[in-house]
Amino acid sequence: MSESPRKNSALRDFGANLIKSPQRILRSAMRSGSPTTDRTRSEFVFGNVFLHIHPVRTHRWSLRWATTWGLGTASAAAFLIALVTGVLLMFYYKPYPEVAYDSIKDIHFVVPTGRFIRNIHRWSANVMVVAVLLHMVRAFYTGAYRSPREFNWLIGLGLLIVTLGLSFTGYLLPWDQLAYWAITIGANIAQSPREVTDAVGITEVFDPGGLQRQLLLGSDIVGEEALIRFYLLHVMILPLMLVILMAVHFWRIRKDGGLTRPDDVDDRLGPPPPDTYPVFTEAPAKTYHLAAIVRGRTSAVGQGPENTVPSMPHLFYAELGVLMVTVFICVALAIVSDAPLKELANPAVPENPAKAPWYFLGLQEMVSFSAFMGGVGIPTIVVIGLGLIPFLDRERQGTGESFGGPGGKKLVLESAVIGLALVIGLEAFAIRFGWLREWYPEIPQWVITAVNPGTILASLYALYSLWLIRRYNSARAGAMGLFTCFLCGFVVLTIIGSYFRGPNWDFYWSPAEWPLH
Amino acid sequence: MNRNKHLLLWSSIGTLGLLIVAAVQENILKDWRRIQAAASTIDGPIDVRLRQVISPDLKITDRCVSCHVGMAPGEEPAVDGPTLATTTHPPVVHDPGEFGCTVCHGGQGRATDMADAHGDVPHWPHPMIPLQYAQAGCGTCHTHVQVPRTERLEEGERLIARYDCFSCHRIDGRGGTLRPGGVGGMEGPDLSYAGAAGHDPQWYAKHLQQHEAAEDGVWKDSFGPIPDDDLRTIDNYIASRVGAPRLVKAKALFHSLGCRGCHKIDGVGSNDGPDLTRAGDMDPLFVDFSYVEGPHTIARWHEEHLRDPAKIVPGSLMPNFGLNDDQIELLTLYLMSLRRSPHPEAYWPKDRILAERFGEREFGTDGGTLYGTFCAACHGDSGQGVRYPDTVPFPSVSNPDFLAVASDQFLIDSIRTGRPGRRMPGWNEMLGGLRDEEIEELVRYLRETGGVKAPEVDRTEPRWVSADWEFGRRLYDNHCGSCHGPEGEGTEAPQLSNVAFLAAADDTYLFETIARGRRGTPMPGYRSGSPIHPALTDAEIEALVAYLRTWEK
Repeated sequence: MSESPRKNSALRDFGANLIKSPQRILRSAMRSGSPTTDRTRSEFVFGNVFLHIHPVRTHRWSLRWATTWGLGTASAAAFLIALVTGVLLMFYYKPYPEVAYDSIKDIHFVVPTGRFIRNIHRWSANVMVVAVLLHMVRAFYTGAYRSPREFNWLIGLGLLIVTLGLSFTGYLLPWDQLAYWAITIGANIAQSPREVTDAVGITEVFDPGGLQRQLLLGSDIVGEEALIRFYLLHVMILPLMLVILMAVHFWRIRKDGGLTRPDDVDDRLGPPPPDTYPVFTEAPAKTYHLAAIVRGRTSAVGQGPENTVPSMPHLFYAELGVLMVTVFICVALAIVSDAPLKELANPAVPENPAKAPWYFLGLQEMVSFSAFMGGVGIPTIVVIGLGLIPFLDRERQGTGESFGGPGGKKLVLESAVIGLALVIGLEAFAIRFGWLREWYPEIPQWVITAVNPGTILASLYALYSLWLIRRYNSARAGAMGLFTCFLCGFVVLTIIGSYFRGPNWDFYWSPAEWPLH
Repeated sequence: MNRNKHLLLWSSIGTLGLLIVAAVQENILKDWRRIQAAASTIDGPIDVRLRQVISPDLKITDRCVSCHVGMAPGEEPAVDGPTLATTTHPPVVHDPGEFGCTVCHGGQGRATDMADAHGDVPHWPHPMIPLQYAQAGCGTCHTHVQVPRTERLEEGERLIARYDCFSCHRIDGRGGTLRPGGVGGMEGPDLSYAGAAGHDPQWYAKHLQQHEAAEDGVWKDSFGPIPDDDLRTIDNYIASRVGAPRLVKAKALFHSLGCRGCHKIDGVGSNDGPDLTRAGDMDPLFVDFSYVEGPHTIARWHEEHLRDPAKIVPGSLMPNFGLNDDQIELLTLYLMSLRRSPHPEAYWPKDRILAERFGEREFGTDGGTLYGTFCAACHGDSGQGVRYPDTVPFPSVSNPDFLAVASDQFLIDSIRTGRPGRRMPGWNEMLGGLRDEEIEELVRYLRETGGVKAPEVDRTEPRWVSADWEFGRRLYDNHCGSCHGPEGEGTEAPQLSNVAFLAAADDTYLFETIARGRRGTPMPGYRSGSPIHPALTDAEIEALVAYLRTWEK
C-alpha cells in the first residue's frame, strides 16, 4: 500500500515530462529563452554556432539596402544553393569519360527533377560569379578596402579566384563538346608561359607552362585523368577552400568593425523610425574584461553614439530576404532555361569556335593575340594591382560613400568614357586592320607577346591612372580611374568575345553570318 | 526592418510559387498523365501511374507505355480515350511486354516527354527508327541468313503460287483462304514465320508421301512432285519467311545490286567504300547533314545519299545508280537494319548465332545471289559490264569470247586476288572474305550465264610463247596502245600491265584473246582483218604476247 502512491506520482511526472519534452528539447537547443528581450536576443546570436559569426548588434547603416545591395550575402546564398544542388547531383554523376556524359543525360531525362536541379546548379553558379564581381565593384567604390579592412579585401580577391575556379572546373564535368574544348583552351592557356620560355630558348630546361598543364590535366591530353582532377577540385578542394575563406571573410567583417561607414553616418541616418526596436544611440559606458587588453577597435567606449539595433531579428530578416531573392532568381532561371548539353566530347572534331565560359571570354579575346599575356600575364598584373590598391591608397576621404573620394562620380564617369573609348578603339583597329602577325608574318612571337592590344590597353590605362594621381594629387583618384577603366575593358572584351567572335575567332556582327563550314 | 520583412515574405512566396510551378510541370502537366486520365476500359477509368517495361537483362526501362497505354503489358485494353491509349501493338513475333520498345524501335526509353522519348532532341544518339522503316528494328538482334537476290526471291514466290501452295498455306497474309463452297482452306500451317520458327528440310519428302498415299482431296489435287531446282528455290523462299517480308525484300535487293562489291558488312565485302556493318546505327551527331534537305535523321540521310551520293558527300566515288523511289526506300530499310546492339548472348536469335558463330552466310550462296551481292554493281546485273561516268569501264564477264578462252583457274585466280591497283578487289578469305567454294560457285554461275563451257585447250605448257618482244612493242603501239594505254595502264580498256592479271593469264589466254577479240566490245579479233585494223599473223600475235610479258617483271 505504501509504495502505490509513489508509483503513481512517478507515472504522473512521466506523463507531464513527456508533454513538456518538445518545449524542453527546443529550449536545450536554443540555450536561451525566446529572443524577446535585448539580452535573449544577444544570447540567441552568440549562443549559436552558426549565427555567432554575426555581430550581436548591427549598425543601422549596414542595413540600408543601398549600402551593399545585399551582394555579398547573395554571393554566399548562391554558393549555398550550388552546394545543395551540387550534392544532389553527385548522387547520379559518375566522373569517367563518356559515362559522365551518359550520367548527365540520365540526370536530364530520367532522374525525377534532375533537369530542374541541374538547371538550378548551373544558374546559381552563374549568379554567384555575377554577384561576386558586383560585390567587389561595390566594395571598391565605397572604399571598403581601406584600413583596417585591407586584409579582408585580399581574402575577397581569393574568393573571387576560387569562385571562378569552381565555375571553370564544373565546366568540364558533363564531358560534352562544349566542356571538352573549353578545357582544352584552358589547358593551353596554362601552358602559355612557354611563349616566354620559348622566346628565351630555355623551355627544355625550365618549362613552367608545360608543368602547369601537366598538373592540371595529369596527362598530355584532356582525358580521364583530367576529368577526375577537375571533379576532385570541383567537389572537394575548391569548395573547402571557399568555405574556409568565407569563414575568414565574415569573421573579419566583425573584427574590422562591421561594414564600412562614412564618418558622418549618424547625421546621414537621422533618428531611427519610431517603430524600430530600441536602438542604442548613446556612447557605450560599459566595457569588458577582454576588451581592455585587446588591441584595436573592439572596445567602443568613449566613441560617438552607436546607432545599432539587435541583429536578431533585423540583420537576419535582411539576410534571409536576400537568400530567398537569390533562390527565387535561380529557380526562375532554371524553369525558363535549360542548362546546355552538347554532343559527346569528340577529340577528333574541334568545336569552332571553341569558347570558354562567358566570364573568361574577355581573357580569351586577349588570348587570341597572345596566349601568355591574355591568359596569364595580364590577369596576374590585374590581380596584383587589385591586391595592392588598399596598401597604396591610404587616404580617408570618402570612405563608406558610393564613389567617395576626390573626383567622385564625375571622375568615374570620365574614366568610363575614356576606358570605353580606348578599348573599343583598339579592338576596332585590331579587327579592321589586323595585328603585327598579319603585317609581318615572320615576326618573332615575343614581340607580339610584348606588344598586343591587351598590353597596350593595360599600359594606356595605367598611364591615365598615373595622370589622375597627379591631377587630383590623390592615389584614390588614380585607383578609381584605373578600376573603372578595367571594368569597361572587361565588359567590352567579354561582349566582343561572347557575341561577335565566330569560327577561327573571326569577327562577325551576328552568328547568322557564320559560314556553314 | 519592415522593408526587409517584406523582402523576405515576398521572395519566399515567390520562390514557393515557382517551386509549385515546377512541381506541377513535373507531376501534373505531363502528357502521359493526361492521356491516361482520359482513357478508360470496360471496367471504368484506368489508374494514372507511370507504366514501364523493365528488363534488367536487356538493360531497358521503357516508359513508352505510359503514353502508349494500349501497348502496356498485362492491362485490359482501353476502349475509350485518346488514340494513343486505345491503339494496340500489331501482332509481332516478340511480346512487347517482354522485350520493351526501344530494343526494336530505338529512342530514349527512360524519357517521359514525346520529343525526348522519340529521341528527336539535339544530341541524343539513338533516335527512333521512322515508322515506315520499323522492320529495320529486327536488325538489332537478327541477321536473317541465306537471303537470296531479288530475282530468286521473286522466283520462289512465283513457284509457290504455281505449285498451288497457297491453296493450303497462308504466307504473309496471302493464300490459305476458304475455297468456293466453304469447304477446306487453311489445311496447312501459316508459313509467314516458317524461317524463324524452324524450317523443316524434310517437308518435301513428307508432303510427297502424303500425296502418294492420298486417294483424292487436296493432297491429291493440289500437290505434286517438284523438280530439284524449283525445290531449292522454294526452300530458300520459305526459309526467308521470318515475319519481316519487307526487310527480307530489302535485303534481297541489296543482294542484287552488288553493293558489297565496294562495302564490307561483318567482314565480307570490299574496302572501296565505308564499312556498312553499323550503317543504321550511326550517331546523327557525327554525320554531315549539310547537304541533306528535310529532317536531319539517319534514314533521311540514307535516302538522299542513295538518290545522289555525290550531292550528300561531295567527292564521293559512289556512282549514282539511278534508283527509283521504291528501291531507295527498300535499301534505306536494309541500311537502317544494320544496327547490332550488344545484347546478352542468351538473347541472341538462332540466325545470329548461325551467322556469327557457325559462319552461316547472310547472303544466299547460290551463284546468282553471290554474283548479285558482290559483282553486279560493276560487271552489270547479267555480267555485261558497266561504264559509270568518270570511271574506267568495267569489263563484261559473261562475254562468250572471254569465257571461251579463260580457263576456270584463270577466273578463280582473278577473283581471288583481284587486280591490285585497280577497282577490282581480291575476294579470297583474307581480303574480300569469300570462301573457295563460293568463288568456285561464282565461276560455275558465270559459265552458266555465258553459256560457255571451260575451253578444252591443251594447257600443259602455260608459257609457251617465245618471240621478239621489241617487234611486239611496235605492234602494240600501233594497234593496242590507244585503248589499253601506251604502257598497258588501261585507260579505256582493261589494264594489261597488271601483275596479278599477267600472273593469272597463261599465254594461250593472251594469244586467243588477241586472236579472237571480244564480240560486243570494242576489242576486235586480230586473226582476221577489218576496215579499221589489219589481220595479224600468229607470229605477230606471239610477239605481242611476248611484249605483254615484259610488264610482268
